[in-house]
Amino acid sequence: MPAGQPARKMPLMSNKEFMIKLKINNREAEVEEGTSVMQAARRQGIHIPGLCHDDELLHITSCMLCLVKDCTGKLIPSCSVKVTPGMMIITDDPEIEEARRMALELLLSEHVGDCEAPCQVGCPAHMNIPLMNRLIASGKWEEALKVVKRDIALPSILGRICPAPCEGACHRKTVDEAVSICLLKRFTGDENDLYPWTIPPLNGKRVAIIGAGPAGLSAAYYTRLRGIEPTLFDRQEKPGGELRVSISRENLPEDVLEREIGTILNTGVIFRGNTTVTDAFFEELKQSYDALIVATGNIDDLTKSYGLQGNPKGLEVNRDTFGTAEPGVFAIGNVLRPSRLAVRSVAQGKEVAFSVEQYLNGELVSGEPRLFNSRFGRLHQTEFAEYLKESIRGKRIWPSVPAGGFSREDAVREAQRCMHCDCRAADDCKLRLYADRYKADQKRFQSSPRRNVTKHFQTEGIVYEPQKCIKCGICVRLTEKYREKLGLTYIGRGFDIAIGIPFHESLDAAVKETAILVAEKCPTGALSFRHVSE
Amino acid sequence: METDKTIVDKILAEKGREKKALIPILQAIQGEFNYLPEEALRYVAEHSEITPADILSVASFYSQFRLHPVGEHTVKVCVGTACHVKGSGQVYEAFRRKFKLEEGENTDASRKYTIEKVSCLGCCTLAPVVQIDQITYGHVTTSQVDEIIADFESQSQSAGKKQYRTAAGQDIQGEIRIGLGSCCVASGSDEIRKAVEATVNNRGLRVKLKHVGCVGMCHQVPLVEIVPTGGEAVLYSKVKPEDVKDIVTRHFHSSGLLSRLKHNLLDTAEYIQTDAKWQGIERYALNVREKPVSSFLGKQIPIATEYRGMINPLDIEEYISRGGFNATRKALLEMKPADVVKTIKESHIRGRGGAGFPSGIKWELVARHESSEKFIICNGDEGDPGAFMDRMLLESYPFRVIEGMIIAAYAVGAHQGFFYIRAEYPLAVRRVREAIARCEENNLLGDRILGSDFSLKAEIYEGAGAFVCGEESALIESLEGRRGFPKIRPPFPAERGYMGHPTLVNNVETLAQVSYILREGAGKFYSIGTEHSKGTKVFALAGKVARGGLIEVPMGTTIRQVIFEIGGGIANGRSFKAVQIGGPSGGCIPAEKADTPIDYESLNKMGAMMGSGGLVVLDDSDCMVDIARFFLSFTQHESCGKCTFCRIGTRRMLDILNNLTSGKAQPGDLSELEKLAHWTQRGSLCGLGKTAPNPVLSTLKYFREEYEAHLKGICPTGKCTGLITYSVNEKCIGCTLCAQACPVNAILFTPLEKHVIDTELCIKCDACRSACPENAIDVK
Repeated sequence: MPAGQPARKMPLMSNKEFMIKLKINNREAEVEEGTSVMQAARRQGIHIPGLCHDDELLHITSCMLCLVKDCTGKLIPSCSVKVTPGMMIITDDPEIEEARRMALELLLSEHVGDCEAPCQVGCPAHMNIPLMNRLIASGKWEEALKVVKRDIALPSILGRICPAPCEGACHRKTVDEAVSICLLKRFTGDENDLYPWTIPPLNGKRVAIIGAGPAGLSAAYYTRLRGIEPTLFDRQEKPGGELRVSISRENLPEDVLEREIGTILNTGVIFRGNTTVTDAFFEELKQSYDALIVATGNIDDLTKSYGLQGNPKGLEVNRDTFGTAEPGVFAIGNVLRPSRLAVRSVAQGKEVAFSVEQYLNGELVSGEPRLFNSRFGRLHQTEFAEYLKESIRGKRIWPSVPAGGFSREDAVREAQRCMHCDCRAADDCKLRLYADRYKADQKRFQSSPRRNVTKHFQTEGIVYEPQKCIKCGICVRLTEKYREKLGLTYIGRGFDIAIGIPFHESLDAAVKETAILVAEKCPTGALSFRHVSE
Repeated sequence: METDKTIVDKILAEKGREKKALIPILQAIQGEFNYLPEEALRYVAEHSEITPADILSVASFYSQFRLHPVGEHTVKVCVGTACHVKGSGQVYEAFRRKFKLEEGENTDASRKYTIEKVSCLGCCTLAPVVQIDQITYGHVTTSQVDEIIADFESQSQSAGKKQYRTAAGQDIQGEIRIGLGSCCVASGSDEIRKAVEATVNNRGLRVKLKHVGCVGMCHQVPLVEIVPTGGEAVLYSKVKPEDVKDIVTRHFHSSGLLSRLKHNLLDTAEYIQTDAKWQGIERYALNVREKPVSSFLGKQIPIATEYRGMINPLDIEEYISRGGFNATRKALLEMKPADVVKTIKESHIRGRGGAGFPSGIKWELVARHESSEKFIICNGDEGDPGAFMDRMLLESYPFRVIEGMIIAAYAVGAHQGFFYIRAEYPLAVRRVREAIARCEENNLLGDRILGSDFSLKAEIYEGAGAFVCGEESALIESLEGRRGFPKIRPPFPAERGYMGHPTLVNNVETLAQVSYILREGAGKFYSIGTEHSKGTKVFALAGKVARGGLIEVPMGTTIRQVIFEIGGGIANGRSFKAVQIGGPSGGCIPAEKADTPIDYESLNKMGAMMGSGGLVVLDDSDCMVDIARFFLSFTQHESCGKCTFCRIGTRRMLDILNNLTSGKAQPGDLSELEKLAHWTQRGSLCGLGKTAPNPVLSTLKYFREEYEAHLKGICPTGKCTGLITYSVNEKCIGCTLCAQACPVNAILFTPLEKHVIDTELCIKCDACRSACPENAIDVK
């Protein structure tokens, strides 16, 4: 420095990290250097799906669900790519959607598991049968009934007359004999006092239900549970419809009918018996009620006179919402199509309540959505032992008195035969949520025989089902990060790569401190808690 | 048990206890025990920094490692491309039948033999190839299985050093050069060498014996070249040991009339006694000016393969005397690193490993990144089945490759170099190891090279059997002691590579061309080739071509020139159908596009890829759907398994191809195949997945009618065993040869009557058709 010159004052170094400007979906964004594209999008409120990504762990770039597009049209995995200046990212468009769907379909093609158990899927009302069984097996009758009543309004009645499609789908049936689901359901209805339970207050809305058979009764029950006041109209003196007319008192005793129908009426359902709804009365009802449900049973001239769209077999409705062409007018049960399955009518009663509530709230009426279900078909012989790990061996029990239903001991024992085919993570599975959101087709790539299910249990703690694993490596990275002595690791390579335990040690030995963490962070049901509290 | 622990202790002490030593540790353990015993692995976990999770992850990833004991001897059947088209699948089945193996079993009941499929052994011109322990058998047919086992069992294991004698005195009469590349060795050049030595010794001939690297004319091995002092060089091909004496004595005579007489007398006596016939060795003599040879060699420009067939791979003085290390001298002593980079940039050389990235730019990127340490890696993990160029370069020109590494390291500022060489190339590993030692002795490696300020240490790292480790990020993972999972790039190895430091990764062939560029100047290299692809490329020409072997041609040479002028056209009178370029990442170019010049851009435009240089020629008897299936099964097998599209997508594509080739295809399969191919290309993480669909897409593009036929259950070439039936036609003369040849007794002995094949029992092994003298077996 030349003498005599004043010393130059150097500016203080800025503490702020280097910021990068980029565009996401044509909107400007500015983030710190080192931020991933996925994180940058999240700051903008854009959620990019991902299965193998975890904020706490270094990216592994495995699932490829987080693909987004750069300005050249190239697909890049957003969780692993850091932002660069001037980047232009599109996070969603039809092509990206197709890519994500394909990734999901590829993953699902080797995902061997049932989200809901096959019995639940087979039941028209989708009753949570495995949960009911677990509760019965542990002596919790009342809670079991509460679970049943979520989906089936008439358990004691249906428990006597339903042909039990659930038992036809039961995996235990492949092993030896189906679990006696129908009788167990009857047991919950018979065993409990069905009333009182908490019922929500009325919200002022009123619905008229024409027909007090199983469909109408069910619709009345479920609309009442949504705070709507139902009025049931029926030309018979007493409610019940076909239940009274077509089924013998021997099979369905009067006191059972009275008791169960009584619980529905006691929730605050108004019943007008001996009332025939003519076409003129129908118009009146349309005016004086906020919504209308037609549940009149097999179609006849009277129902035809209401002027609703239909064909010789029955009325025509939107199959998702049960709405007719007239807004606010819905139809369920045998009036749509003659059927001997009372359970289907009961199920529709539950579903239409959802649509009616949407209508009454001024929302778009779309019907109650059904979440994606992974399914893999029948068990192979080599899998019986695996599934029996969570059950007991033994033949199906029949009640000592055929018409008498289960005793408590018998019910507990029979419920224990359930093999718990439902996935423990059904309510907590990212794969299921994304499969649902992107409408993935699990059957698209079923070109090679599926792997056989195996189940590995800790004594207390977690269970590992390798065939549900998507090889995301979250558990591997976690056990490594937290320095488990053994931990979980990748074994093998390529299509048959799997997550396993070094030296064939037990799951107890492999995962100790991180057991809860890996079960929580596993994006599928591969690693879950043994005992899922309801 | 105690001895086991001592052995493992020794290994740990030698290799180190850090994670990066894991693969060498496992290789050493397997070297001792022939597999990886669990006790040994537990011991490693307890006495090192390496965790059980890491050990299992790595041990289960690489093909080389075995976690279960195997038989005493390993029978490796090569199922690389060239072997596949020559019927290696049948050979494999024949060996399985010989050992009476059940489905899922790989070791015979006596636990003597374990059978394994490998790709590839790098001796493609000898296809089909089978290696039992250290002995390689070429041109194997299904009927030779018994013979081969018998031969193997009779071989005495001679573990002696290579001996070659030079004449004691002065006036050397000349030089005898014997090709000792792997192909030559596999076809018996070692026997030739012994025969030559014996002859030379017995007659006291003053001749210099030389072992030379690969000449490239693999279709003519074993090769012997006689170079008499003052005379013309004569090249002999397909030499047999019994011919050696005649060949040698034709050119070199014992000095002194008496000894000549003596030998001539003895020879005559020998001939009378042993009934040996004079074969007329003229037909084995090859004049280099002769058309086939000059055609093969003439169009080539050796840069990486300069002085082919003339220099001893491990003779450093000879290499130096022919200009070796001049380029190094020039770079280290006369140029600045930046100038070296500039020279490489100006030559426009592109990476020869397959991707074709401009090497000069790569060097510049590495040079630019500041770091306390930098590394250079020579990628010798040549995994393409059907490619053996890098093997040849490492075996035959190790000094040239090392020289390339020294110059490159100097240019970018790296002081530690790795040669990552496949374990399947033991000869290459040995040669490079020796070459490194020679260089160190001669101040060409180590501290202050050639008196400059630059130091470079080089070591060898053996791959453990994973094609994906040819991908640079997976390679680096492997070097760091992990399984070969590729990583997302950026960051590229040039910025963050080995241990997080800037790392230059270059292919063997790229490095082999560096010294030429420095020596002759960038301009000379630039002047060869096409507009965007400069210089030359080494190709491994194999498959149905008449003259297979290794060739080095200027970029821009057309496919037609390569196959017909250099390669001599299609063998056995069949017609040219297509050529597979670029191995499992490449595509098929059909015959009608034969005038396509070979350069990066033109090939990419056709849907193929230069790749590492494998050129497999296919004729009209090859099924293109089967070829696609073959390549896809390779990539499927080698997929690391990490990313969804490659792991599952390639498998689903393979399922469809398997269905097509076995008659179980469904309508709609072709469009699903295309969809899968499209998304696997776009959604995979690394080059393996991105290029795995190429063979499928290119065959669909040019040979769609074959796919359509397979949909209908017909294989037009009759190759797909699931779709063909063997039957006997009217030409049958009842000679019973077919019934004798049939390994599963599907043909009843009916002498003098027309034989009948039981199609239920027939396993389509083709033995009957090969045995039939009357062309009476039809394949439909």
